Amino acid sequence: MNERILATKGLTVTYPTVQGSFTAVNGVNLELNSGEIVGLIGESGSGKTSLALGLLALARYPGRVSGSIDFMGQELLTLPEEKLREIRGRSIGLITQKPRQSLNPFQNVGTQIGRVYRAHVDASKAQAQDHAIELLENVGINDPQRRIKAYPHELSGGMAQRALISMALSAQPQLLVADEPTSGLDVTIQAQFLDRMWQRAEETGTAVLLVTQDLGIVANYCDRVLVLENGKLVEDAPTREFFANPTDAYSKKVLSLAGERAQAETASQEAGSQTPLIRLEGLRKTFKLDDGKVLSAVSDVSLTVMQGRSLGLVGESGSGKTTVGRLILRLLEADEGDIWFRDTDLTAMSTREFREFRSKIQVVFQDPFDSLNPRWSVEKAISEPLDLHTKMSKAEKAQRVSELLDQVGLSADVRGSRPSGLSAGQQQRVCLARALSTEPDFLVLDEPTSALPPVARVEMIALLKDLRERLGLSFIFISHDLSTVRELCQDVAVMYLSQIVEMGPTSKVFAHPEHPYTRALLDSVLFHDPLDRRVDREHLGALEGEIPSPIDLPKGCYLAGRCPFAEDRCREEPQLLQITEPDHLVRCWKSVEGILSGASVVG
Amino acid sequence: MGRYVLKRVGIGLLQAIGITVVVFFVIRALPADPVARLVGFNSSPEVYAQAQASLGLDASVWSQFTTYVSGLVRGDLGVSWVTGSSILGELRSALPITLQLITLAFALALLVSVPVGIATAKRPGGKLDKTVFGYGLFAGAQPEFWWGLLFIFFFYYTLGIAPAPLGQYAPGVTPPPEITGMSLVDSLITGNIAAFTDAAWHLWLPVMTLAFIVSGPIIKMTRQSMSRVLGSEFILYQQASGIPANKVARSTIRASLPPVLTLAGILFGFLLGGAVLIEQVFAFNGLGSYSVRAVLNLDYPAIQGTVLIITIVSLGVYLVLDLLLAVIDPRVKN
Repeated sequence: MNERILATKGLTVTYPTVQGSFTAVNGVNLELNSGEIVGLIGESGSGKTSLALGLLALARYPGRVSGSIDFMGQELLTLPEEKLREIRGRSIGLITQKPRQSLNPFQNVGTQIGRVYRAHVDASKAQAQDHAIELLENVGINDPQRRIKAYPHELSGGMAQRALISMALSAQPQLLVADEPTSGLDVTIQAQFLDRMWQRAEETGTAVLLVTQDLGIVANYCDRVLVLENGKLVEDAPTREFFANPTDAYSKKVLSLAGERAQAETASQEAGSQTPLIRLEGLRKTFKLDDGKVLSAVSDVSLTVMQGRSLGLVGESGSGKTTVGRLILRLLEADEGDIWFRDTDLTAMSTREFREFRSKIQVVFQDPFDSLNPRWSVEKAISEPLDLHTKMSKAEKAQRVSELLDQVGLSADVRGSRPSGLSAGQQQRVCLARALSTEPDFLVLDEPTSALPPVARVEMIALLKDLRERLGLSFIFISHDLSTVRELCQDVAVMYLSQIVEMGPTSKVFAHPEHPYTRALLDSVLFHDPLDRRVDREHLGALEGEIPSPIDLPKGCYLAGRCPFAEDRCREEPQLLQITEPDHLVRCWKSVEGILSGASVVG
Repeated sequence: MGRYVLKRVGIGLLQAIGITVVVFFVIRALPADPVARLVGFNSSPEVYAQAQASLGLDASVWSQFTTYVSGLVRGDLGVSWVTGSSILGELRSALPITLQLITLAFALALLVSVPVGIATAKRPGGKLDKTVFGYGLFAGAQPEFWWGLLFIFFFYYTLGIAPAPLGQYAPGVTPPPEITGMSLVDSLITGNIAAFTDAAWHLWLPVMTLAFIVSGPIIKMTRQSMSRVLGSEFILYQQASGIPANKVARSTIRASLPPVLTLAGILFGFLLGGAVLIEQVFAFNGLGSYSVRAVLNLDYPAIQGTVLIITIVSLGVYLVLDLLLAVIDPRVKN
């Protein structure tokens, strides 16, 4: 064990541009050893992906790799094309960040898996086909004989990622390069995959380079950490040392922010009032599909957000949480149920009435760049709602824009900038300022921190907390990131497959999760502590597989198919949201009756 | 696929009918007087009325329309007000001339431009890329008839390797009987080798001129599309998984083609009636020249017929194009 697998010297990746060439990776020297998982972190744009690909002597068109890469005694950069080809995909495996885009849209999945197989193994087309079927079967894809005929656009992102991961691992590479392999996956699936990768490295001695933005992943799975800044390695340290004593500025900043977050108390309980501001009652939304089937996105959701408080709505993708947000905004019309804003029923309003009302309820979406018109200046983006909802003069509007920029912590210089000239964090602040411009009473925040790099994410959370206290703002915070919700929201509702399965004050739900699904979610959270690693813990009540499609929902408990505690009664009996304590509701008869085995996972 | 074609043909039919109706009424709503154009502005009222009656313009617009439609149903596009011959017959000889010219030009353009576009994408900023960039600016900035004239001057007058631009055949050559109306095809079918070589001899320069003009945008589109695909995740992933280079290249080209084909299809439809300047310069009596004459003479039946034919052929080209795209890209079928 621990022999050297790969070593680079002066590895450099450059891209030609109109103004000359751009150096993404600048003279990197690194070593990777067998059985070792090495984390590569750094801000977005620091060259992480270029470096990861560079290890395969590969650069995205039209880039070039130079320097030296010694892979098990062979110099990759001078190796003949054919020899290099044999190594790629066989001895060095790659898992990319964008699984679906990594597949050729014009070829079915079976053909593509077969092609990679045949590129390295002397096999007939029929054998390659069998291999593809087997591989899909192994990753738990139903009906693989039919699915190999599917084109990439017909697969879900999670499905494609599992297929690609399985492809990379089945070749048993000596080196696995994984470029943010779990960024599109839900926490429970992320944990499944990372556990498997960790095991693989332990057992077969595969060396792994794991590119990530998530310090939790680094703390839990990596033996060593590399930090990249502007294309240069600025830190190369064992994980525990890195967390205990970072040496460079970026690491210090990231870790100190992470440290503050770890110490931050769960959102305070007393803040806010007990006056209901938004009350959803029995909300239901279904979509009719082309083939006549019915998809239930939201079934029977009731919740209340109090004045001046914030509620976190958490769940995996596909749980229906985004649909709930859109129903509140009436971007979608509910099939059934009411939405009360103070004493007004929003669902009873005409479209015209609601349009005027809309200034009171505003929204911030996940991707700030997509939410801003690229041709509009920041000033225009922020003042547009003022044009629609107020009769302010030009000078008043300019004044209001200044106030708003100040509120969201942006300097006045950005007024004239276009979105493309701003960082993701700044763009999201502009979106927030735009949402605040009409002085709304309520905000729907749909994963506003998910598309941001770590530092910007922490700053955004601090800003939201601050605004809630200063402006007495109420909001619903839709997210799959549990640690953010814990920090930011006083109340939390956990959604699974169109239903709320558990709801209550954040402190209670996080300290004593009742529902098996909540427990599994919390168990998958990766804490930023290399001394308390997930891989060293025992796991009770891990879920199997992934969230099923919300078509043809089961009769009994929706989680029964994945729940380790399920028994016949669960499958037969529809589950109701029941009160266990005055402010704590759970949709699981076993929890309610107190006969759910296994201790509380998070203390 | 069969149902898709049927549906598309059905929609195409509706479009053709719609355009027929619109064109008929719109040209009659124009402030133009085709009768005066024919008999002169100073003619006596009697002569004017007689001419008006002979063109059928004395009847109400509605009855003119019903007459026109009943003709259409029988496959009769009417008679030209200027030449007195059947519009269908005139189009039948004009359309194939243009079709042959632009089809050859497009074949040549695609054959040259696609490989050139691919090569420039592979080496951005290379010598070929710079040359092609210069050509794109140069060729695109100057009107096509000007290039025709330059080429004639250079290849015919200076070098003497092209014939005089006096039509499809040399004056001494007996043209083959009109079967398809395309000079190369007709001479080949009738086994008239002398006419075939002469037709080819007279075609090469106009074909090259047109190809020269349409190649600029096609190369540009190929380069752009190819660059995008080369930088895409899935090509990168194929390279990273050790797929052989020739297979990666095939995937790249296939994925780059759709925008190029779409552009070529649009240009083709445009040139059906728009190749008029080239046709004029080389004295080809094609569809472009025919439509210009029809408009200048206010020859309503000829205008209607030309628009209808161009519509039908364009829709046919688009249908073929969409079928091709559906073969290349499985996502199109949904």
